[in-house]
Amino acid sequence: MVNVQQIFKRGLMNGLKTSWELIKIIVPVYFFVTFLKHTPALNYISKLISPFMELLGLSGESSIVLVMGYALNLYAALGAIASLTLSLKEITILAIMLSFAHSFFIETAVSKKFGISTSALTFLRFVSSIIAGFIANLLL
Amino acid sequence: MKFLDTSLSIIITESLTGSFNTITNIVLIVIPIMVIMQFVRDLNLLDKILGIFQPVCTFLGMRKRAVFPLLIGIVFGLAFGAGIIIQSVKEDKLSKKDIYLISVFLVLCHAVIEDTFIFVAIGVNGWILLGSRIFAAIVITLLVSIFYPKSEEVAAIEDIKTIS
Repeated sequence: MVNVQQIFKRGLMNGLKTSWELIKIIVPVYFFVTFLKHTPALNYISKLISPFMELLGLSGESSIVLVMGYALNLYAALGAIASLTLSLKEITILAIMLSFAHSFFIETAVSKKFGISTSALTFLRFVSSIIAGFIANLLL
Repeated sequence: MKFLDTSLSIIITESLTGSFNTITNIVLIVIPIMVIMQFVRDLNLLDKILGIFQPVCTFLGMRKRAVFPLLIGIVFGLAFGAGIIIQSVKEDKLSKKDIYLISVFLVLCHAVIEDTFIFVAIGVNGWILLGSRIFAAIVITLLVSIFYPKSEEVAAIEDIKTIS
């Protein structure tokens, strides 16, 4: 018969392993963004990019969240969100955008295995992410 | 001009407490999910769920056998989905169109449980997140399915086989 205890143990181990993977990413990103927040750098980038971010209902500084999410992964983006002061609406828009497109480098490598054009798939994700953010801003 | 607007020790304290809080919230959600998924996997509950979703595949223009890689990808993530697609291609189970449609659907919508819950952990409404993702994936996959060139529908899958 199935050993419930063993399945539970395996699930727990998987959970702990995943959690450790998350910690390894979230903590450095959190430190990085918090540090950046206290330098003029984030302010400068924010101002530069804010006209575009406004279309999505986002403040300039949340661009760092998108960069983290697109380039690294959702957990890095999460670390960045947590270290900034954003409204729930902003966080929801960011979450929707990022759930459509994230971890470009790693996931593009994975989707290569599907055997079809990865540039088309990546383009599809990026465009749908932007459109989703735009629509979310209008609806929320 | 001063480079930092506060002392380094304040920044470090802020980072430590903030990242600790974030991680506790996430770990509290990730571990139970992982335990549940382990049960789904080990008790083969997936087989039972597969049958329910076969009509969905037909609706999206795929053949019924596409349900397995599709559902695995949606629940467990892109890498798992890709693994099963490769396996199915080897066994001649999927057409090129099937693979194309599965890929389009999965890049937009995968690992929905994990991806949704990590944002729920910081206060986002999970239904909005999940709903918009599934909706977009269905609409776009349908569009691709409708405009997929008829001539290629039964095309050989040799070129995909060589890649995997």
